[in-house]
Amino acid sequence: MTPPTRPLVEFHDVTVAYGRRPVVWNVDLVIDSPCLFGIIGPNGAGKSTLLKAALGLVPLVGGEVRFFGEPLGRVRSRVGYVPQRETVDWDFPVNVMDVVLMGTYGRLGWFRRPGDRERRLARECLDRVGLADVASRQIGRLSGGQQQRVFLARALAQQADVYFLDEPMAGVDVRSQERIFHVLDDLKAAGRLVVVVHHDLRTAAEWFDRVALVDRRVVAAGRTIDTLTPENLQRTYAGHVDVLDDLAQAIAARGRTP
Amino acid sequence: MTSSTLVGDLAFGLGGIHAWAMATAAVIAASCALVGTLLVVRRMSLVGDAISHAVLPGIAVAVLAGGRPGGPLVFLGAVAAAMLTVWLTQGLRAAGGLTEDAGAGVVFTTLFAIGVVLVGLAPPGTHLDAACVLYGELAFLPFDTISIAGQPVPRAFVAGATVLAGLVAAAVATWKLQVFTAFDPAGARMAGIPVAAVTTGLLAATAVATVASFDAVGAVLVVAMLVAPAAAAELLTRRLHRMVVVAMALGAVAACVGYLAAWRLHTSAAGMIAVVLGLEYAAAAALTPDDGLAARLIGRVRLAWRVAREDRLATVWRAEEAGNRAAARPQTPHEAVVVRWLEFTGHLLRDGSSWRLSPAGRREAENVVRSHRLWEAWLGRHADLPLDHLHPPAEWVEHHLGAEMRERLEADMDERAADPHGREIPPEA
Repeated sequence: MTPPTRPLVEFHDVTVAYGRRPVVWNVDLVIDSPCLFGIIGPNGAGKSTLLKAALGLVPLVGGEVRFFGEPLGRVRSRVGYVPQRETVDWDFPVNVMDVVLMGTYGRLGWFRRPGDRERRLARECLDRVGLADVASRQIGRLSGGQQQRVFLARALAQQADVYFLDEPMAGVDVRSQERIFHVLDDLKAAGRLVVVVHHDLRTAAEWFDRVALVDRRVVAAGRTIDTLTPENLQRTYAGHVDVLDDLAQAIAARGRTP
Repeated sequence: MTSSTLVGDLAFGLGGIHAWAMATAAVIAASCALVGTLLVVRRMSLVGDAISHAVLPGIAVAVLAGGRPGGPLVFLGAVAAAMLTVWLTQGLRAAGGLTEDAGAGVVFTTLFAIGVVLVGLAPPGTHLDAACVLYGELAFLPFDTISIAGQPVPRAFVAGATVLAGLVAAAVATWKLQVFTAFDPAGARMAGIPVAAVTTGLLAATAVATVASFDAVGAVLVVAMLVAPAAAAELLTRRLHRMVVVAMALGAVAACVGYLAAWRLHTSAAGMIAVVLGLEYAAAAALTPDDGLAARLIGRVRLAWRVAREDRLATVWRAEEAGNRAAARPQTPHEAVVVRWLEFTGHLLRDGSSWRLSPAGRREAENVVRSHRLWEAWLGRHADLPLDHLHPPAEWVEHHLGAEMRERLEADMDERAADPHGREIPPEA
């Protein structure tokens, strides 16, 4: 496991841009112990962008992100990712088991095929998210909540130490939400760090140990109880970030990145 | 055509050049179907179209530089041209803000046009001819042979079979990577899969399959071989590994059938193969197991028949409840047919000029009426609807409530065994 001196995840002065236009500014964030960590903020605040940037799916224009003190490339298999459900085509001709098995591919390397061991693991993971009985179903025939849980099971099958989930509760029925939160809670209990991009304040207060309030920059971060204060929420949801927007425009127009 | 002449054609075909032509067409079609399946599930059919056209200048340059059609140099030129298309398309999008489809449209037509011009510039005697490049000529291929173990084998077949074997081997080796990348590129990248290389590999494979097909079917119709079998297979199976096999089989069958039909009708083999592929797709769309035209039609007829039966039984039940059996007499010929059928199956019993319910008919009727009245009661309680608006929705829902749903609806009511109109709700039969 991780040496205690190394933070699980650290963002150092991270700025992310689409094209030339910065969307998330100067994020500095250290998560040093296993917990349920929420990235909370309004629509268009750049939460998902920040998460994708951490995982190298969107390029950084400044700063760096480290996992266990290392760059992502050296610890890839220890970092699990649950993308937003809409990012894939659910009519794709695979069944539930096929998708969950993809979680084992990283460990298997490029050419080895999943065998009995991987199948057993995949079934276990499906059981944990409550989908053992739909293993052979075509993924398009599942409800939104079930599809989200398939993605979660795939991440579980990866057996990572840090998990990143992008809006796992969006468009998901209440029963699935409960189930997902319980699985995440179990992961935390097993010593894993779980970082969740989330938009619902009510469930955020209920489930997350620590949160970062994000609106194009980190407004506040820390223990949930200390961070979700009326003033902080006011600054996050009704804050005046016109300055950042106008600056981003100016930077894009001038054709230089900071 | 009589069956004896068909058998004669087949015997002749299997014995001679026709067999070679069909075999060549089949291996080519299978190669195209293999890469085409991955293109189709990645929603990249247009890229297949673009590549199949854009390889032309690559082939032309390779031939003008001394390459032999179907030889390695030509394959290399084609793959280079295909990559150029993809890079130029992406470059145009990044630089000029052109959308991907418009960019591809500009790039591949331009490259194709350059290819056509180059072919026109080729000195006489080179193995390049505009008509052949555009439409191919399957029938000529068996005459250009090389000797394998003392037997003359058409060069095009050898090239096609080699390409097919290579593509199958590559697909088997990288299947896992292809599927993950196709389904979820971001997730694949996170799992350490070289997504860009996997995609480039698929595009190169598309170029190779396309070039192998050029002499046989030409640049225009190769798109049909890439896309149609995969699209048809997608309708027939929901697992990618089966889809590939089905697509390859559909492609190979269409190649053989199309070739034979073209030979009988004295028309273009490539055109006929594409037509057969289209027919295969139409058949798949009609017969696809879950929601094909045939399945949907059968489902609709079945439902209509069940609704008619249940409505009739419920009508008789209500007439008996009201003590007016005459009210249940069929009013239309259609209803009369349904009544006859119910009499035949023993659900209704004839009683002079009217009908009454048999025990089996009563059980079924009671559950329909029960469904109807439970739904009226539930709607009356939970929806803001005037009393006279409850009947139509219940008329529809009564055919779809199962025993379990009825139980749940009943549990939701507080001990009232009557519907909102005050009529009794019969117990579960």
